Amino acid sequence: MNGHALLEAREVSVRFGGLTAVDDVSAAFAPGELVGIIGPNGAGKTTFFNALSGVIAPTSGELFALGRRLTGAAPHRYAQQGIARTFQTPRVFASLSVQANVDFGLQFAGRNRQASWLLKDTASILNLIGLTAQAALPAGAITPSQQRLLEIGMALATRPKLLLLDEVAAGLAESEVEAMAQLIRRLRDELDLTVIWIEHAVTTLMRHVERVIVLHQGRKIADGSPAEVVRNAEVVEAYLGDEMTEAA
Amino acid sequence: MKRDLLILFSLAGWALAVPHYASEFAVSMALTCLMYATLSSSWSLFCGSTRYLSLATSAFFGIGAYAGALLLEHVSWLVAIALGGTIAAAVAVLMGLAVLHLRGTYFAVLTFGMTELIHHAITYWEKQVTGTVGRVLTVVPERDTVYLTMLALAVAAVLVSIAVRRSRFGLAMAGIGADEQRAQTLGVNTRLVKVAGFALTAAFAGAVGAVMSVRWTYIDPATVFNPFIGFQTVLIALVGGAATLWGPLIAAVVFSLLAETLRLQVPQLYMMSLGLLLILCVLYLPGGLASLRWQTFGLWRDDVRDWWRDLRRPAEKKVAP
Repeated sequence: MNGHALLEAREVSVRFGGLTAVDDVSAAFAPGELVGIIGPNGAGKTTFFNALSGVIAPTSGELFALGRRLTGAAPHRYAQQGIARTFQTPRVFASLSVQANVDFGLQFAGRNRQASWLLKDTASILNLIGLTAQAALPAGAITPSQQRLLEIGMALATRPKLLLLDEVAAGLAESEVEAMAQLIRRLRDELDLTVIWIEHAVTTLMRHVERVIVLHQGRKIADGSPAEVVRNAEVVEAYLGDEMTEAA
Repeated sequence: MKRDLLILFSLAGWALAVPHYASEFAVSMALTCLMYATLSSSWSLFCGSTRYLSLATSAFFGIGAYAGALLLEHVSWLVAIALGGTIAAAVAVLMGLAVLHLRGTYFAVLTFGMTELIHHAITYWEKQVTGTVGRVLTVVPERDTVYLTMLALAVAAVLVSIAVRRSRFGLAMAGIGADEQRAQTLGVNTRLVKVAGFALTAAFAGAVGAVMSVRWTYIDPATVFNPFIGFQTVLIALVGGAATLWGPLIAAVVFSLLAETLRLQVPQLYMMSLGLLLILCVLYLPGGLASLRWQTFGLWRDDVRDWWRDLRRPAEKKVAP
């Protein structure tokens, strides 16, 4: 990493009244990294994501994209800086067609950004996520797993540098999970995207990422390669022990 | 698009002819129709697509009416109307910056509260500073000028609606209506879009107010800031179908005719039918009158038949031993 990280969180905390959901977390993400974030339920993973994408302003701490301060900016500014995200429960525009959902991002954050030929237009994005056949259907009428793919397509339409994926494999069948993981790797390899991927199912995630950040009760307790992380005593204690060793 | 324009121009052509053959009463009725058509189409333009239910129409209408009444002594007719719209839009920008981060009921109640605030602030100013409560308009243009100006405003409101629906601005507003946060994360500057949309709506309401002020020749805050104008605009848009282009227009005509015919003879009956129509529409026709199709009647018929069958079934069981 030379110069600035693509996205950097410095001592970010998010508090809701008396509850500290994210507690003093610092992390930097370099171009082309594939990073997983794991942690038990309520560890603050999604809240951390909301802070990284500008959906929630951190109570304290700073956020930088390529050295530019973004703390407190509205979410559209994050999108304009090339930070895209998906939501845990798909939030597609149900009454619009699949095609129009993808086109939305191209009309706004993705409009004046340079893009790889894979993200050239709506058709190429639909092709990339494999929803070409569903293009004309209303987004509310496709299956939940297709909606997850569409979420990714909508985020890709903003032509991002960094993609935040919030539990995109949750509730998918075994084979679908594998296909999703393949797609994510492909996005990283072919589009040179930085991908940060939250997943509750640790085993799947560990197989595909090169770096894992572990959150526990809002704090970052480990940050390293999957092999390092599973040997970390604090992680094993805080987390689920057996499932962890299994994954390694 | 082409069809919409065609419908618009044929309607406009028809309306253009009204002052030449119709009676004084019919022209006045047509003017009311056009007034509500403009108000509710421009209301739907912003509120229908973003689902921010604004009750501030009467504030912008009143501001436009006052501005028009005061300015008409100094500037020409069209300039007075343009200024009425501009001043209303400027107030909408300020109001929007203050309240457009709120959603749902909070937004609706606050816009209504601000309308009352503006109404009473102007009443106070009139009493304390100028020492009067109302104003008599001395310079009044001809009836046909007023009518044609209102017609032009109505056509402009529909034209702007058609243009906005096809623009990125319209897409942004639709995105805000569907899922505001999602639209933001896809790059929509929601604050800017909302304030601009709100101001556009207000500009039309202000211009309509400026035109209508000369119809009354005497205006006071209670008349021009009448909350009924705001409520009726919202009702018309909702009954007609706020998400559609023609719904508000159809409903504006239906309501204005109802209003003019019923209000004079039996005012209570008018308000009652207004309320009843709103309830029926919300319950059975959430997309508004514009979503009515021949199939809709079929569905209703099936519903009634099923209901009737369910009603009879227990009775048949009783007969069987």
